[in-house]
Amino acid sequence: MSATVSGFIHPTLGFYALALVLPFLSGKAWRWLLLIPPVIAIWSVMTIEPGLYGQGHYLGQTLLFGRVDKLSLIFAQVFAVMSLIGMVYALHVEDRLQHIMACVYVGGAFGCTFAGDFITLFIFWELMSIGSTFLVWLARNPISTKAGFRYFLYHTIGGLFLLIGLLLRYKAVGNFNFDAVAPTHMMTYDWMIMLGFCVNAAVVPLHAWLPDAYPEGTVTGSVFMCAFTTKTAVYVLMRGFAGVEALAIAGTVMCVYGVLYACIENNARRILSQVGYMVAGIGIGTAMTLNGATAHAYAHILYKGLLFMGTGCILYAAGTTKLDKLGGLVHRMPWVMVMYMVAALSISGMPLFNGFISKTMTITGAAEHHRTWLAIGMEIAAVGTFLSVGIKLPYFAFWAKPANDKMELKPIPWNMYAGMAMGAFLCIAQGLYPDMLYRYLPFEMEEMYHPWTVWHVLQALLLLGFSGLAFYITRDIITPHAKTNLDFDFFYRLIGRGALALVSKPLAWIDDRWTEAYRAAGLRGLLTLARGTVWFDTKGIDTVVDGSAYTVQNVGVIGARLQTGRLQDYLGLAAVLGLGIFALVWYLA
Amino acid sequence: MSLFGMLLNALRRWTGTIAILFFLGLAGLVVANVFIRPHEAEYVFDVYPGFWAVFGLVGGLAMVIIMKKIVQPMISRGDDYYERNS
Repeated sequence: MSATVSGFIHPTLGFYALALVLPFLSGKAWRWLLLIPPVIAIWSVMTIEPGLYGQGHYLGQTLLFGRVDKLSLIFAQVFAVMSLIGMVYALHVEDRLQHIMACVYVGGAFGCTFAGDFITLFIFWELMSIGSTFLVWLARNPISTKAGFRYFLYHTIGGLFLLIGLLLRYKAVGNFNFDAVAPTHMMTYDWMIMLGFCVNAAVVPLHAWLPDAYPEGTVTGSVFMCAFTTKTAVYVLMRGFAGVEALAIAGTVMCVYGVLYACIENNARRILSQVGYMVAGIGIGTAMTLNGATAHAYAHILYKGLLFMGTGCILYAAGTTKLDKLGGLVHRMPWVMVMYMVAALSISGMPLFNGFISKTMTITGAAEHHRTWLAIGMEIAAVGTFLSVGIKLPYFAFWAKPANDKMELKPIPWNMYAGMAMGAFLCIAQGLYPDMLYRYLPFEMEEMYHPWTVWHVLQALLLLGFSGLAFYITRDIITPHAKTNLDFDFFYRLIGRGALALVSKPLAWIDDRWTEAYRAAGLRGLLTLARGTVWFDTKGIDTVVDGSAYTVQNVGVIGARLQTGRLQDYLGLAAVLGLGIFALVWYLA
Repeated sequence: MSLFGMLLNALRRWTGTIAILFFLGLAGLVVANVFIRPHEAEYVFDVYPGFWAVFGLVGGLAMVIIMKKIVQPMISRGDDYYERNS
């Protein structure tokens, strides 16, 4: 196969191989296989030399599966590490389909990261979309089914923007190469592609799918989802659209918007991401902010994964993550609280934790580039993050209310603790030894950024300490309520309902008329014809055809089984078929 | 209940003491800020000691009060709003 001849084991291979093998294994030992693709992936990204690997041909185009450089490597590295943590956390899950879909999804993320052209990118982009949709559906409850459909619809629209953009671009420039655009000379097709990326990065106002879908995913699936979809989008934005001013502003708006909503949110799994910092860093586009965005993506994957593992433990044990129903649980899940706090302090940028060494880099970069307003927006978001995710959430989940001994809690399996411990270890280690992360940063800076100066530490402590005081003063106001807060998805639904009405009402009218006309005129003729054929059938055909009829019936049974009428099944089948064809072409090319 | 859990639970009785320690810590930070300043101001105002303290406190208070008291009453609906309307 072309992907391996030059010595590069593409991490996607391991995940897709596992996805293919898993359905055919029996017994219990198969679960240990889950750890093999992540380990191979880690080994592969740590040892490979930068270069171009694995070219293939498909539809008359040259595809590049392995563009390995510092930028793709650092993202692939954190994806690999996170996939191992996520798999450890999911070891106890019996439902194999969840693991298969996690593999399809994670493999897709690696595919996007190493893709050197738009076709390869698009294929893996859509595979990610399918895999993640299933991770929502496989929570197997009516709410997640609906959320999954919305998620899929939304990402299909995003994918179509990307597709339209890349086809228009092909018509204009004659190739599918995926390279950086000149920010001052962006064409319509560049904007379309960027819009497609922005859907996945959850850039405001295209973001509302994220708080809609993530809380409804499976306990273990959401851990993967929070790490890969937005961060793959961050990677492709950085690769293609560094220095685009619109992103700098949108990113900052996103930071602030996210924390404002977090302030009034009741569901602990509905935490908007910190992707705004990364998008802003990409938009500002200096070496320091780009490195800051990369470092923040790395740190974010680790602590956001840890946050979702912590809230996942609460969901697993207590059956809910609604803050108004929780509280007083600290003595019953002390270690979950500790792990959660590591993540919460990391996301807040507290010294000793990895958010401190990554977030401050982007903000300092923005300030040094004289983008003062953007930097101040990001500082406000830092205040809000600490208030909501750092204090409000753990306070109301674990502390508020007297000790709760009545709530029934399911015991948490050891592997969930192990996954969290790995994440927590890395969050702290990177906070203490920033070089662990900085040495992999892709862009050359004039002078290295040093987070551990007395001033930076004091500034962070002042900012966070006094945000804490603000919480202390307003702790009776900020108490979460069982409410749905309207967001932009209100408008998405409005658009959806409008489109549905437009299609269904006129079409339904035509259908009604047609049925009536048919009943009046068509039916009588058909009956006469039927009488004739019945005679022909009983006299002539029965004896001859019965044999072949049985065959047809048997084929029909299989066909009928496949046609369940459920979009989930069709989607899965289409993905399997598509993958099969793609694998064949890849192999033969 | 594990030993660690009991220990954490016991902290509840010391809430008052912890709050006082927290306030003392904050005061200490502001005093330190009088002596430790940034080499060059990244923003115009952060040369003044206590700027980030005020920023964190006022920013946090404003955010909570505006969002919870003004914005949430306008945009919040029942917990099952979308389930009933779809």
